[in-house]
Amino acid sequence: MALDAEDFTAFIDLCSTEFDYRITVYSPEIRKEMIWLDQDYEGMRALLEMVPQHLKRLGTLKRHVSVYIIDHDATAAIATVTSSFIVTHTDPDGVSQLFVAGTYYDEVDCRGDRYLLKRRRAHLETRDLGIGSHIPI
Amino acid sequence: MENSAGTRQTLPEMPDTHVVSGAVYTDKAIFEDEKRRVFGQCWHLACHESELGEAYDYRTFDYIGTPLIAIRGGDGVVRTFMNVCSHRGAKIIQEPSGNAKRLTCFYHLWSYDDRGNCVDIPRPEAYESSGLKKDDCGLFEVRTETHLGLVFINLDDKAPPVADYIGAALDPFADSLGSGELEVFHYNRAILHANWKAWQETNLDLYHEWMHVLLRRTQVGEGSMNTRVVKSFENGHTMGGGLKASYDKYKGMAARDPGMALPGLGPDDFFFVDLWPNAALLARGTAIRIDVVTPIDEKTMLVEWRGLGLKGDSADVRRTRMQHHNQYWGPFGRNVPEDAFAAEACELGFRHGAATRQLIAREEGGKGQDDGMLRAWYAEWARRMGRSPANPTNAIAPD
Repeated sequence: MALDAEDFTAFIDLCSTEFDYRITVYSPEIRKEMIWLDQDYEGMRALLEMVPQHLKRLGTLKRHVSVYIIDHDATAAIATVTSSFIVTHTDPDGVSQLFVAGTYYDEVDCRGDRYLLKRRRAHLETRDLGIGSHIPI
Repeated sequence: MENSAGTRQTLPEMPDTHVVSGAVYTDKAIFEDEKRRVFGQCWHLACHESELGEAYDYRTFDYIGTPLIAIRGGDGVVRTFMNVCSHRGAKIIQEPSGNAKRLTCFYHLWSYDDRGNCVDIPRPEAYESSGLKKDDCGLFEVRTETHLGLVFINLDDKAPPVADYIGAALDPFADSLGSGELEVFHYNRAILHANWKAWQETNLDLYHEWMHVLLRRTQVGEGSMNTRVVKSFENGHTMGGGLKASYDKYKGMAARDPGMALPGLGPDDFFFVDLWPNAALLARGTAIRIDVVTPIDEKTMLVEWRGLGLKGDSADVRRTRMQHHNQYWGPFGRNVPEDAFAAEACELGFRHGAATRQLIAREEGGKGQDDGMLRAWYAEWARRMGRSPANPTNAIAPD
């Protein structure tokens, strides 16, 4: 919800300092796995800080997530979470369209007072992203 | 059209070379002419040879609505065929890539080899009475040539060889693309809602770097505008060179490691070549980007982006090279989405006539942010189309 609202400070606050984020996608054209965005905690923070200065697609993105599997390792205090997601784009005239579909593979750090997102792999099914996005999925 | 102001603004007297009418983006007849006079006659960059690395590797793609398949034969030669069965016309291979010694149509199992020969027809005896033989049923071959590792096709059998067509335009890439050490690590494609030329213009327009925060931080202030050079070549190809980048001037980015530079490139180099009509190659020290734009209709285009690195990259180096590439050029990058936004915004201006023309009138003596690449591009368009870009609907030349 923080990313939906483009409240990037709130999103970063939900991430561990060990945060490791990637958007991955498989290309059947070149038969290779690709990484389309690859950031650590500091990299993601810098990237998001710069977003407001950029020319970007108008409107909003909304992420709809269905959690499929939660595997909690109490000893390691890590939860691995697999979720399906779709992201819709709503333009300034209120027209919504599907932007991207994929799967989150997350690791959540459960050691402290609150859970923090330690690792996210956003694997995309959608490969045609139109004009693209300055904001992570 | 008149509005409450009575008339639109008037411009000073300028040569036709400095103005492009909005009709070149919107007129259906002009687009149909482009399909025939431009895309029907010019070399088209289909893929990089690394996409067809092994014998019998194939890539399928559509070109101006025509399904094609490029396949590396057992003899190592890349050939391209119409990807349609000689029997009932069905598209034979649906997947974008693969490896197959035989291309077999799903419908009635007619099969073709790597040379396009029809090699199997189930129960052929029933064709004996009509005289039809396998030898009559090969795939239609499309002219294919490879240059600096780039695979080109041409629908016109009378066109000059691709090396002659390109001339010296790709010389700046001779050490990198010509090394044989590169491979495609990034591919994505998107349909954009604008005339196809709007994408080419983003790669020909040096002045638009002001739009990009990333380029304002890393590029505009680097070096002198006087060290930049705009060149034009025969057949409408152009080049912008002499640019440098300081990557660490953008928050979150770091200077490039010289050890990661591609053959023939310095880590901070930036230059680009536009191959007329629809391809652009951009070099940024540690990665190369190749754009190919193909129109779908006069207001819709397909853009393909490729990223190239070294075949021998370790996993760590490849990951860093991908980061370098994607910071600017990936679909979540800081530059390409902005270019796409601009192309679609111009389409909104031209589509219903609110904008009637664009200006390509910057003159800086072939340096700085000169519009010389755009003017050279449209000079070739005028030559091929027999129309003036400034007044394209009134100047129709005979075929």
